Amino acid sequence: MHKGRRSRQAQRHWQQAAHMLGTIAPGIVWIVFFLVLPSAYLISVSFMTNGPYGLPQMPLTLQAFSQLLGFGFLGWSPGNLYTVLRSLWQTLIATGFVIALAYPVAYYISTQPAGRRPLMLLFVVVPSWTNQVIRAFGWMNLLAPDTPLSNLAGALGLVPDQMGLFPSNFAVVLGLTYNFLPFMVLPLYAAFEKMDPEIVEAARDLYATPVGVFRHAVLPQTLPGLMAGTVLVSIPAFGQYVIPQLLGGGKSMMLGNLVARQFAEASNWPLGAAGALIMILATLGGLLVLRRLGRRLGGGKEVVL
Amino acid sequence: MKRRRLQRGLRAFWYLVLFFLYAPLGIVVLFSFNSVNTYSRFAGFSLRWYESLIHNEAIVNAFYNSLTLAVVSSCIATVMGTVLGYGMYRYRHLKLGWLIWFIYLPIVMPDIVYGISEMSFFVSVHDATGLLNPGIGTMIIAHITFQVPFVALLAYSRLVQMDPMLFEATQDLYAKPWQRAWYFILPTLRSALISAFFLSFTLSIDDFVISFFTAGPSSTTLPIFIWSAIKKGVTPEINAISTLMIAAVFTAATISYAIQRARPARVES
Repeated sequence: MHKGRRSRQAQRHWQQAAHMLGTIAPGIVWIVFFLVLPSAYLISVSFMTNGPYGLPQMPLTLQAFSQLLGFGFLGWSPGNLYTVLRSLWQTLIATGFVIALAYPVAYYISTQPAGRRPLMLLFVVVPSWTNQVIRAFGWMNLLAPDTPLSNLAGALGLVPDQMGLFPSNFAVVLGLTYNFLPFMVLPLYAAFEKMDPEIVEAARDLYATPVGVFRHAVLPQTLPGLMAGTVLVSIPAFGQYVIPQLLGGGKSMMLGNLVARQFAEASNWPLGAAGALIMILATLGGLLVLRRLGRRLGGGKEVVL
Repeated sequence: MKRRRLQRGLRAFWYLVLFFLYAPLGIVVLFSFNSVNTYSRFAGFSLRWYESLIHNEAIVNAFYNSLTLAVVSSCIATVMGTVLGYGMYRYRHLKLGWLIWFIYLPIVMPDIVYGISEMSFFVSVHDATGLLNPGIGTMIIAHITFQVPFVALLAYSRLVQMDPMLFEATQDLYAKPWQRAWYFILPTLRSALISAFFLSFTLSIDDFVISFFTAGPSSTTLPIFIWSAIKKGVTPEINAISTLMIAAVFTAATISYAIQRARPARVES
């Protein structure tokens, strides 16, 4: 090679490329090696056959997915399918509750003097910084038998006497709502902050009913925040592991528990991986929504949690 | 008139939601001071569960494991994430938008999928090569992976706020790369780096699921200890250790809020 003829500019280009690799590569390579590669491996496991000790084997099949739909070697049983549907259902209800709680809260914060808002947001967020096991444990204490809440529910005939409110589907939905409320309040608050109050004012002056004001003046303006919040709440709620495990009994299992069980007691890695693949697909779908929202909202600025 | 009624209703709702948010934490704190071992009534104030904490070797051990894990992973992640964030900033004119996918992935992936994929990966690598034995080492690796993106995003967003002319000025003044890094970039990023470190630390201390699936038999952390205690049947000591962890989070939140308050209205550098 004509080393001597290499121009200074080419050398600078080379240096710059090395600098770029040196700064970007370590972090990205780390994430690729310790997260992208493992997820790719997990996805490939979902297409393998279940071996004698639960470990994946060749040949490739769709066995795990048919098991997820309930087809086992003993014929069709709905257990797994119920778990998937229950996860969807509970996520849906909890997201609905979160929206109902977050809208008034986000609006109320946005009407307060600017100096107080950060502190109010902090009050909403701080509980979610504590460990989620401890938070679920707190609910276990509140909903246990012979506590004021359970006695009240018993007196109203909602639960049999002497029974607690947990474990139950109710407790799981409550726990999910509690856990993910801040994830909805923050994006909604951001939307309310940007909202043009004059449009709401105009709707009022035109004698719109409160429902009409909300539907035609508030909702369109806060829709991006609502959608971002829905993604941030529903995707992680769908894959929750701790809350159903602690607040729901065996009858309130969600997809995350089904997946985890296949890697522990039940020992069926391909089935667990198939369940995980569903969650990965849901996550990627949520990411796409967030990216598109980000582009539409912030003019190229990314939506960061 | 109608408006004021709406405001009053909203304020009442706000306090209700606050109560909803803090009641589960409050009950844990309250019963950690209970003098008898029951959950249905509060019999009297006592510190006996805190005393027995100190003498519980398993809890002290779990505490040290949590601390080691959080400190080591946060230090490594802060360095690696800052370098990554700086690279993303320097070469943002190149079409590197797809990189953001790698950065978002650890943030949004459900932690159960995250924990399971790392666990199955570590187990397979361990079976094949004998490396990556489940324990504090694999936990540190797993934690760094979810901390790096947060640090990188924090560093990146701080750098983007900066006036790009300043960066060119350092070049015009013939600053060597290390001088630029030491006298210009690091001071610019200082507050972002401090908050990145604390964020990583909190993420690590708060994590349960990922730790649970990548842990080995001897690397129990506090959340894992609390989890297995709940599964086995609770002792009031769990209330006490949970209260200490809640107190730590609230202290950190207060400090970070105070620092933000104390900083003069953001000076655009």
